[in-house]
Amino acid sequence: MQTAHFTSGEPAVVITRITPGLWHALADDRVVGRGEASTRPDGRTFLSIDAWHRSVFDQLADTMLAELEGPLHTIVDEVDAELTAGWERAGFTTRRREWEYVVPTGGAGRVLPPPGVTIVPLGEASEGPLRALDRVVRAEVEATLGWQEMPAEVLARPAWDTVVDPALYAAAAEAGEYVGLVRVVQVTRLPRIGLIAVRADRQRRGIARALLAQVLGALHDAGIPTASAEVNEANPAATALFEGIGARRASSNLELVRHGE
Amino acid sequence: MANKAGGIEVEGTVLECLRNATFKVELANGHQVLAHISGKIRKNYIKILPYDRVLVELSPYDLGRGRILFRYRN
Repeated sequence: MQTAHFTSGEPAVVITRITPGLWHALADDRVVGRGEASTRPDGRTFLSIDAWHRSVFDQLADTMLAELEGPLHTIVDEVDAELTAGWERAGFTTRRREWEYVVPTGGAGRVLPPPGVTIVPLGEASEGPLRALDRVVRAEVEATLGWQEMPAEVLARPAWDTVVDPALYAAAAEAGEYVGLVRVVQVTRLPRIGLIAVRADRQRRGIARALLAQVLGALHDAGIPTASAEVNEANPAATALFEGIGARRASSNLELVRHGE
Repeated sequence: MANKAGGIEVEGTVLECLRNATFKVELANGHQVLAHISGKIRKNYIKILPYDRVLVELSPYDLGRGRILFRYRN
């Protein structure tokens, strides 16, 4: 274990790297701060620090940054000014903003898909075509934006490991294959629109809007009034899609990054 | 109960989501605390809503403040 002693802050702490991804700050043998580092499937390392004192936060950050190779990332709630300031003191800057939307399930109404496209309702999608579309979408992401622009729900995975649970999806079918999908995850009482994607060569025809309307309608019929979704601020198409059905911004997360020395 | 060499962990229920990324949580003993969410919860995009049952680590310096470590599946 690597250990660093800090006597300048209040309280004086000893920071020890417990495992490759976990640091503890101890004052009088009590854990007064924790730092964690985890690597996402896209290869990026995300940090988090929980500390009761500003000085302990800074000392944990100093220790972790000295022991980790950059670039390093973290996520903060934009209204958490104290936490954001802590990361900024450690040299992190804002890389992007992700809006958290509250989506009314009764706002979309009935939206017809474009001619030739049919919507396969939530929970009725077939596994084979869904996996085939998932592979196409993932290949398109890798060839264009890259995974670093995707929210946490969309993770780079090995080619054989694609759709996890077809029951969570609705799909858009055209000419015998799926061309769009939407995934809804039931999280406690607030379902989450975790992923919505349409093949690049079928976009701008209203397929995503029809998919979204189908799943929101199903949730509405089940007595669920709202869902949630995260949208990258830099994605105008997604922003227009959600705001067009009456979604409102509830909060925002900032992804902060610190590039290596 | 006390965790390994750390703060006191208690179960509670979220009463209210406040504006500054904090939550009002009622503990099992009836006390109310103001709690932030832990970095791990934030990194994993776990939503905390009113009525959620949560595990809170109380601050050893101020028992009126805490940190939400875990959200139970209701």
